[in-house]
Amino acid sequence: MQLEGAPSAKAAIVRRLAPSHAAVGRFGLILVMALMMAILTILQPAYFLTRENLTNIARQISSNAILALGEFAVIVTAGIDLSVGSVMGLSMIVLALAVHADWAAGLAALAALCAGLGVGLINGLALTRLHLPHPFIATLATLNIARGATYLLSGGVPISGIPRAVRLWGAEDITLFGGTSFPIDFPISFLIVIALYFAVWVFLTKTSTGRHIYAIGGSPKAAQYAGINISRNLTLVYALSGALAGVAGVLLAGRVNSGYPTAGTGAELDAIAAVIIGGASFFGGRGTAGGVFIGAVIMGLLRNGLNLMNVSVFWQQVLLGFIILLAVYLDVLRRRAMRLEG
Amino acid sequence: MMVRRITGIVGTVLLTLALLGPGVSAGAAKYTILLSMKGPGSGNPFWAAVERGARDTAKALGVNLVVLAPPAETDVQAQIGQIEDQIAKRVSAIVVAPTDVSALNTTFDKARAQKIPVLFVDTDGTWRSKLTFIGTDNRAGGVLGGKFLCGAFKGKGDVAIITGVMTTQSIRSRVEGARAAMKSCGLRVVAELPANSDRALGQQVMEDILTSKPTVKGIFAANDLMALGAAEAVTSRGKTGKVLIVGFDAIPEAAQAILSGTMAASVAQSPYNMGKFGVQNALRALTKKSVAKRIDTGTVLVTKKNAAEYAK
Repeated sequence: MQLEGAPSAKAAIVRRLAPSHAAVGRFGLILVMALMMAILTILQPAYFLTRENLTNIARQISSNAILALGEFAVIVTAGIDLSVGSVMGLSMIVLALAVHADWAAGLAALAALCAGLGVGLINGLALTRLHLPHPFIATLATLNIARGATYLLSGGVPISGIPRAVRLWGAEDITLFGGTSFPIDFPISFLIVIALYFAVWVFLTKTSTGRHIYAIGGSPKAAQYAGINISRNLTLVYALSGALAGVAGVLLAGRVNSGYPTAGTGAELDAIAAVIIGGASFFGGRGTAGGVFIGAVIMGLLRNGLNLMNVSVFWQQVLLGFIILLAVYLDVLRRRAMRLEG
Repeated sequence: MMVRRITGIVGTVLLTLALLGPGVSAGAAKYTILLSMKGPGSGNPFWAAVERGARDTAKALGVNLVVLAPPAETDVQAQIGQIEDQIAKRVSAIVVAPTDVSALNTTFDKARAQKIPVLFVDTDGTWRSKLTFIGTDNRAGGVLGGKFLCGAFKGKGDVAIITGVMTTQSIRSRVEGARAAMKSCGLRVVAELPANSDRALGQQVMEDILTSKPTVKGIFAANDLMALGAAEAVTSRGKTGKVLIVGFDAIPEAAQAILSGTMAASVAQSPYNMGKFGVQNALRALTKKSVAKRIDTGTVLVTKKNAAEYAK
């Protein structure tokens, strides 16, 4: 590495190297994911690549992936939503109570979604109308309110028995390419995950509102001078996060065929972890829905792989911590590369 | 080159973990039994005893045992994930203490589809196709505690009951057993107050009892936390030894309180038997022998005589 040459030569070399550094950032995540899959295939050849195990992983990560998607939209604005886990629990109980009150399945699911949307709106309005100093506070409050409401509504006991019309979203498979010679049974919940990620990706990158949301996170002052309605956009983002937590609740209730009051306790931290592993910046303005998706998959692979190897959950937590460190280190590398490039 | 470094880090971490993992069992045993507990054994003496019972028995019977638990007793999703992943690995039988009485039912349906028998330990579930429930007969334990007070007072006098979270079936059964035993021997139950299975509330309720019902000389509390709270109230009124307090669970702190005289007795469950009977009966099921629908793991009265065993 003879970089001590003339400054112009150094710049030229840096310019030549930089794109590959940036590529590390962009493809590093996919690389980590592929590597994990390869290692798991080698360590658990008989089980890892079976259809059963892969659909297990897909179903296991569905609710976290959806929570992470809403959390991502919030983190893009440099905010945080601590309430998503509680909101997921609340929407499960609302759903279970509604179906036990003989509501039609679709209506019950809608009620669960509205419960999520409602708490999300409260988060957004508390931030923008009550001018609470940081979203940490408003969402910490709703974390407790929603969890308390969940216990009150359920009386602290699980409510089981969800009709099949709702259950199938979280628990059943759909046959894709049924007419062709390659029919695949695909978990419906994972299909919903993919559809939602695609929709949010389109929303954030292809619409002006989406670009405003990125702009708010990147530089709120500049966004304000550009005439972007910050309050409206922030409220929208928190409402979206709440509604997505509602969807996650419907899927999880379907998966376990019940609403139980402790559901989603601490799930907000898993959602935040997926967003961070997925390469979104905690300071806002940066990150992609695709990255967050891979973040959620990496977490799912980690859990599944260690479960298959009968490794204690404590190790899973330790390793998850390391993966977070690694992912953020990757991000630091990328930014350094980009600065050199610039 | 950075790619290689990152690849290196991930690879090393994962491989280290794979080697650390206890899962690579080379045994030629025919059966692998999964014990899925509510909480990890390290840090909780109850689950540690369940795990010990299962491990000792699995070793003696020559079957493989996989022990897994979610990080917290409320983490239902983690337990579901662990059990599903083990079903994918085709464990022979599942012995489970469910984190929720019904949320795991769809998971157990998957086990059933693979003809994997499911046995409940400690906590009964609502799943219809379960092979058996192996756990404490809480009513019998309540009777044991009640009878201790009967003997101490020769069937005469006033007593009170401090109840826990009454939505919990185990707590309700304990109270029922104690109440029935004390009534039938002639004791008068003059108060039955809830303290939510909480220590501070137990103390508060006991203070109220001492004030409003000064004739009470015996207390049955549905768990040790409430009993310890009640003991605190009795001690601060200077009535140690004049009001006998019986708890439930025989946690180490309660055993120490029994040794020091602030509590009179407690009722111990047998978590070791839960693990032991769980593995034994899983193997019975696998070898096509009959298994009883309900198996009691037994309760033991802990008094000054045997409290030292439970005090550590």
